[in-house]
Amino acid sequence: MHRIDCPWCGVRDEIEFAYRGDATVKRPEAGAGVDAFYAYVYERGNPRGWHIEWWHHAAGCRQWIKVLRHTLTHEIRATAKAGDTVTAPKP
Amino acid sequence: MPVSAPEPRSPLVQALKPGRHGAVGARQVTLRAYRRSLVQLQARKGRAADLATAVRQGLGLALPPPGRAETSPTLAAIWIQPSAWLLCAPYLAEGDLARSVRAAVGSAGAVVDQTHGKSVLRLSGPTARAVLETGCRIDLHPRAFAPGQAAATPVGHIDCILRQLDNAPSYELIVASTLAEAFVDWLLHAAAAYGCEVLPPD
Ligand SMILES: [Zn+2]
Repeated sequence: MHRIDCPWCGVRDEIEFAYRGDATVKRPEAGAGVDAFYAYVYERGNPRGWHIEWWHHAAGCRQWIKVLRHTLTHEIRATAKAGDTVTAPKP
Repeated sequence: MPVSAPEPRSPLVQALKPGRHGAVGARQVTLRAYRRSLVQLQARKGRAADLATAVRQGLGLALPPPGRAETSPTLAAIWIQPSAWLLCAPYLAEGDLARSVRAAVGSAGAVVDQTHGKSVLRLSGPTARAVLETGCRIDLHPRAFAPGQAAATPVGHIDCILRQLDNAPSYELIVASTLAEAFVDWLLHAAAAYGCEVLPPD
């Protein structure tokens, strides 16, 4: 069970949140072509280490937030509002 | 022929029978359904400051920051998400609160009537916190949660807007009307060990 520090609500149990995937993928420019959009929609890394993720506080303030989580230890080191920048430590 | 909207009839009129439930003794809690007008108020993009001013001047209330509720003698405002609040007032007539809030905020905010959509309950008494703790995952201990604080969080697996009213302690519980019957069913079971006096609806 994770305890996630929502920037709006404070520390809440994981059960209030829904995982929403990699928060670092960027939408390509409109003319970037099919391959770039295929990669944007479907291709994801599966890193062993720090991962910046979207979590949706579905049962609380209903905001999407960023969470810096270690995929091996499950340590959560930082959380931030959707528009804020989160930087992963060097592996 | 004009057709008027039906009066909000809480599903709790059937589900929540006044009287004593569970154990008998001094540690019992009281539970009561409240007839309230509810609206959700959301600031239009870039208009949060205008909305705060309009609510202060038109409704006599300061919109509270995250995690808090603000009250006047006739109105409560509960923070529910960024730039959005749930406003709660005694029910007088269909659409009454939505009309007065719309008139007060003008174009600064979006107003959605939630009077039929949500049901309002109060749980009160020395063991009220112990009852809620069996199904609530936030810390309700006085060092962490006090009158004036509010949270949107599941209680008994049902999404709830929870607000502490006083140090009795009393808690206001606002849930979707469609789930109010299931919520009360859970609450009466959770309170059975202490006993629960259900009061007639307000
Ligand atoms: Zn939140």
